[in-house]
Amino acid sequence: MTGLFPGFLILSAGLFSVGAVGVLVRRNPLVVFMSIELMLNAANLALITFARYTQTMAGQVFALFVIAVAASEVVVGLALITGVYRSGRRLDLDELSEMSE
Amino acid sequence: MNPTLILVLSAVILGLPTAGFLVNALTLGRLPRRLVAWMGPGVVLAAFAATVVTLISMLSRPATDRGITIVFWHWLNASVASGSGVSAQAGFNANFSVRIDPLSVLMMLVITGIGGLIHVYSVGYMAHDRGFNRFFAYMNLFITSMLLLVMSNTLVFLIIGWAMVAFASYALIAFWYDRPSAVVAGRKAFVTQVIGDVGLVLGAFLIFLNLRGPAGNLLHTVNMQTIFANVGPGAHFHNGLGAYGAGLVTAIGILLFLGAAAKSAQWPLHTWLPDAMEGPTPVSALIHAATMVTAGVYLVARFHPIYQQAPVAAAVVACVGIGTALMAGIIGCTQYDIKRVIAYSTMSQIGLMIFAVGIGAYSAGMFQFFTHACFKALLFLAAGNVIHSLHDDQDVRLMGGLSRRMKWTYWSFAIGALALSGIPIFAGFFSKEELLGNGLALGPAVPWLWVIGVSVNVLTSFYIFRVVWLAFRGEPRSEHAERAHEAPPLMLIPVMILAGLATVVGFLNIDFAGFAPVTVFSAFLQPVLGSPHSQASAAIAGLALLAGVVLSLLGVGLVWAVYERGLIARDLISKRAAWLYRLSFNKFYWDEIYDVALVRPTVALATTVRGLIEPNLIDGAVTGIREVVGTLADDFRTFQTGYLKDYALVFFFFAVVGLVVLGLRLS
Repeated sequence: MTGLFPGFLILSAGLFSVGAVGVLVRRNPLVVFMSIELMLNAANLALITFARYTQTMAGQVFALFVIAVAASEVVVGLALITGVYRSGRRLDLDELSEMSE
Repeated sequence: MNPTLILVLSAVILGLPTAGFLVNALTLGRLPRRLVAWMGPGVVLAAFAATVVTLISMLSRPATDRGITIVFWHWLNASVASGSGVSAQAGFNANFSVRIDPLSVLMMLVITGIGGLIHVYSVGYMAHDRGFNRFFAYMNLFITSMLLLVMSNTLVFLIIGWAMVAFASYALIAFWYDRPSAVVAGRKAFVTQVIGDVGLVLGAFLIFLNLRGPAGNLLHTVNMQTIFANVGPGAHFHNGLGAYGAGLVTAIGILLFLGAAAKSAQWPLHTWLPDAMEGPTPVSALIHAATMVTAGVYLVARFHPIYQQAPVAAAVVACVGIGTALMAGIIGCTQYDIKRVIAYSTMSQIGLMIFAVGIGAYSAGMFQFFTHACFKALLFLAAGNVIHSLHDDQDVRLMGGLSRRMKWTYWSFAIGALALSGIPIFAGFFSKEELLGNGLALGPAVPWLWVIGVSVNVLTSFYIFRVVWLAFRGEPRSEHAERAHEAPPLMLIPVMILAGLATVVGFLNIDFAGFAPVTVFSAFLQPVLGSPHSQASAAIAGLALLAGVVLSLLGVGLVWAVYERGLIARDLISKRAAWLYRLSFNKFYWDEIYDVALVRPTVALATTVRGLIEPNLIDGAVTGIREVVGTLADDFRTFQTGYLKDYALVFFFFAVVGLVVLGLRLS
């Protein structure tokens, strides 16, 4: 059983990297959003792996919290994206930059 | 003396003029004139009454019990715990405390008494001035400051009073602030005073730092009674100031005298006094005759325990005093401004007082101060009457023949002149002969100084009777002089009271050895100032007396011969010894010397700094910093793009770098 831990952790790191690259390079907010979910779940995987490894509950509880927070985040984020779409604008992160100026 | 009574009295003496000043100043001139005309002199005269009560209470005690220290409140108390508890003597403890003893009571009597008369006179003199209320606010402030100076028992409050006097005199000299010459004169007086303040403060610091108690411990005290009690040589080698040799105590004496010289207009800090005549005439009488200029004499007399330890410093004091007396006497003979003549006369007489306290004749110096306050205030106020009735003409060449139109003023001025010259029975005679008699008796080098001092008598009577002749006798030489009129009673009565005083106060002390000595005055001051070291023998005293009187009469005779009979040509000196005349007429060129030596280099330095250093170095540094910061800000601003992914990229990049570093360190 212990031999599998490096595999889970490498998978977690890989998923996280894919998510990070997605956040950095994609311009469609929906895809960026999915990438963020990917990073969160990569972190969850790592947490559960360590929880299993140390035989404690903390990591699992933490993962549950992350899922709950991610769910509420999705609600807010999707509502924002829908709002932008309804205002009749292109869904492109580089063009949605009025607030920074 | 009853401490409670004295506490109440000194609170009244200090508090009333202060209250008068505050009320007058804080109402911003909105009080009705009639009220100010009563309040201004009223508070000072009430303080005078309280001083008289203090004097009576003091005289009811034996001579050994006439000094009392009243602590009003504790201030800046930093006493250190020593061995068996907190010692009041050790450690810094600047109480607000006053010292009531014969010396301070004498000063208070003159300040409030003569000052009160001058206040009354001012009500008449300033009646039509716009700044009536402001004038009395300043006058009351001056009285307060002067009282604080003479009553203070700590160096701290002495210095505060000292500086407040300088400010009040500045405000009064520059009272007519729309006259540029008055403003310049006020500034000159203030700057000179500050030079003296520096000397006084440094001297006080040296005492504070170095004075040791009987056990050789450093006292660090500002209490003047403690200082005087410990300054002398004691059983222990290390007490007093002795452990540092004669240099330290000489330095202290000279530094303190620097302060005294600035206040008392002694060379080399004398040039402000003649210019100070730009102020209203009552100011000249109050500040430059009766009180402020004698603060230096008071200071040296008060600190006489230090001067007794510092013979070199005392000799410097005596020489500067006698030198100033001679120089001012010579200058006074050729001036035409009536007030300036009296101002130089003040400088000369104060020089004699400084000489007296320098040679150790403290009581004689204070007696000369006392009589001088009476007759010099008289001369100034009488001159004020003349100036007032001549519509502000001060030039004696424009006067003449005033004796017929201003009979009372003429006789009062004449009494002042007689007293100043030291003609027998008038006040100046007794004080000056005592002073010069002591001068002859004390010390080996003193006879030469005495010769100078006694020859000043000729100059004194010459310049003052020259004014009497030019201003009051002969024919009127201007329209104003023809239409001159006698002063109103409000201005005449104080003058006549002073004329009475100038006639009689001399009888308080008749000190010719063996000749019916009356020592009311010196016996009164004896508990504070001690007795003179030695007394002149009858023969010497008689000689000094005779020489003084003969020389004074010689001065009057010269005036009579030159100006009344024309036996001697008026331009004898200006033709035969033109250099002497020019030297005197131009006041020994001190203003020009200071202008070249001090004022112009300072102005040149300031111009250079303004023209070169300020724009390049200071402004350059400031604008340089602004430019560097601005450039950096412009550069760094480009990092802030506003695109989230740029920030995320930086974040991830450094997260990866951080992880790599962490991993390398763990492995």
